[in-house]
Amino acid sequence: MDDTRTLDDAFAPPDAEWTRVSPLLARAYRISLGVGTLAGVLVAIGLFLIPDVPGWLPVAVLVVDAVVTAWASWLIGRRVRSWGYAERADDLLVTSGILMRRLVVVPYGRMQLVDLVAGPIHRWLGLTTVQLHTAAATTDARIPGLTPAIAADLRDRLARRGEQRSAGL
Amino acid sequence: MSGQQQDPLSFEVIRPGASAPDERGHRRVHPLTPFIQGVRWWPAGIALALTSTVQFRITVGTGAILVAVAILVAITLLGTGWNYLAWQRLTFWFDDDGDLRVDSGVLSRQERRLQLSRLQSVDVLQPLLARVAGLAELRVEVAGAGDSKVALQFLTLAEANALRNEIIARSAGVRHDAEEAPENLLAAVPPGDLFLSLLMRAETFVLLAVTGLLIFITLATEGTIGLLLLATGGVPLFSIFTQFSRYYEFTVAESPDGLRLRHGLLQKTRQTVPPGRVQAVGFVQPFLWRRKGWVRVRLNIAGTSTSAQGSGDQSYTENVLLPVAPWPVALAIVGRVLPGVDIMAIPLVPAPERSRRRAWIQWRQLAVGWDDQVFLTRGGRITQRWDVVPHARTQSVRVTQGPWQRSLGLASMHVDSTPGAVKITGHHRDAHEARRLAQEQADRAAHARTTDRSLRWVAQQQLAAGTPTASDPVSGTPSSVALAELPPPQLPPTAPPVGSAVEADPAEVAQPGEVEQL
Repeated sequence: MDDTRTLDDAFAPPDAEWTRVSPLLARAYRISLGVGTLAGVLVAIGLFLIPDVPGWLPVAVLVVDAVVTAWASWLIGRRVRSWGYAERADDLLVTSGILMRRLVVVPYGRMQLVDLVAGPIHRWLGLTTVQLHTAAATTDARIPGLTPAIAADLRDRLARRGEQRSAGL
Repeated sequence: MSGQQQDPLSFEVIRPGASAPDERGHRRVHPLTPFIQGVRWWPAGIALALTSTVQFRITVGTGAILVAVAILVAITLLGTGWNYLAWQRLTFWFDDDGDLRVDSGVLSRQERRLQLSRLQSVDVLQPLLARVAGLAELRVEVAGAGDSKVALQFLTLAEANALRNEIIARSAGVRHDAEEAPENLLAAVPPGDLFLSLLMRAETFVLLAVTGLLIFITLATEGTIGLLLLATGGVPLFSIFTQFSRYYEFTVAESPDGLRLRHGLLQKTRQTVPPGRVQAVGFVQPFLWRRKGWVRVRLNIAGTSTSAQGSGDQSYTENVLLPVAPWPVALAIVGRVLPGVDIMAIPLVPAPERSRRRAWIQWRQLAVGWDDQVFLTRGGRITQRWDVVPHARTQSVRVTQGPWQRSLGLASMHVDSTPGAVKITGHHRDAHEARRLAQEQADRAAHARTTDRSLRWVAQQQLAAGTPTASDPVSGTPSSVALAELPPPQLPPTAPPVGSAVEADPAEVAQPGEVEQL
């Protein structure tokens, strides 16, 4: 793994390796990106068909669409590699993001719910997202791109630890 | 006690008809409720009718007025009829576990159970109309995702106060027919100070300045920017008025069952915040308040925000502990909420100097600090903010870094609290320092949680053994009342064997004498 390229020390794992998510997540991202690109093309076509719209507008939409798509697809590999999590003795660490990077430390005792979520694309690819909830809405700790078996294991482990360390509010 | 004071606006229309419990002990809200709910929209409706008449220049004859009155009556009758059905279906009672149960709903029935051991706050509200009739609304909030609050509209004021006391007593585990706990006034905000402070807020000032500028332009150019004037001048006036009327005669009192906040000019509100429910405290000082040495104190209380669980919805209601007060008063009252914490004594670590390239106005103010109980962040140059979260109330810790911060080697460190106005963020720290702070804060939080729980366990064991616990509120932890046993889907792992009464730490809530009644 080329950790050094996507993560510097401040977002590095504490004492263990980050557990990485499935590379299949890249495919999910590409499909979503493709849908977005297609939507942009449709908008351009729509604009082209409407009379009285200046001719450069659909072209501009297409250009922007192409640039965004190119840039986003260039980032996809790094975006997928930026996801990582580490289970420590008392808390779970999740990291992600390239432009906006973040690292979340969630104590097991603070977890209220652990959800497994899978949208249609992810389900088709056999991917699951583990979503943690604490009493704070800002926690935002989710780990996408896990295979269902790993995700279920992780959920059970987290739920068990949460139960053991459950603290009040 | 407020019930004894005569409210000049209240006529106490109906005393009988107050809800006697039926054979199962279920109670109803006051029979006048449907009518009050039916006419509640009148002012807004009439205002709308008037403005639209003026706006569309409709000439109004007698016929039109008659039609309008007929519509008004018809809608009121319909509304009252519907609300009557709702009134008939709404019953509430305390179940065998001592929890509050509310059954309601005309078309879709709803049965709700509020676990009082997880109680967060109880408010008695008197909207103007209800107040005239001598009625009040009781609002109960418990910790939990989503549907965690219940509003009982309307009870007589005396009934609402009695029910409030019963709920608090049950949640604290003391006998529910106990007398209302005595209280001790801590602070009162003079209306003059409140008005002045609202006038001196930054946003008011900006808008008033814009208004002045517009007046100047209008006069200079003889143009008509009347509508814009109305908006820029009207908004601050409106916001000043709503805030003034909401926080009018604000008083903070202390009693064994929590802090009691009373305020309101037209709508009277009486909030009770049981001890240990405060998740975070924030001080706000707008620029013009500085010379006066004033500050506003806000709270985060779990469950008082209505955001759907986990959706990242940021809607919340501002919980104000003090709308305006001098620093010493504010600190003294916060000292009651976070016992043993001296916020001013916490050493602050400023953000590095290179943060000025990211936050060129406020960089000098940016700082974080901590002691053995709380984590503190400071920020803001024009409006200054101090935000405090107890280690034991830390939900999670985050480090974030945007592209610009990254190029400067900076990162922000957040301590997540329950949804509310107080956000604890150490902006623009050195990236490695932010990471270290986050890790240390996680460790401090973990440590605080364990001490928190062990103390509660001691109290529980003493209770179970029947020993009266000392009233010493276990000094050393900011608040040792733990509420919810989480996560919800599973059975609480530390569920006490003797009903819900034990979950809240009665040592802190009750006086020694009351504990013996258990």
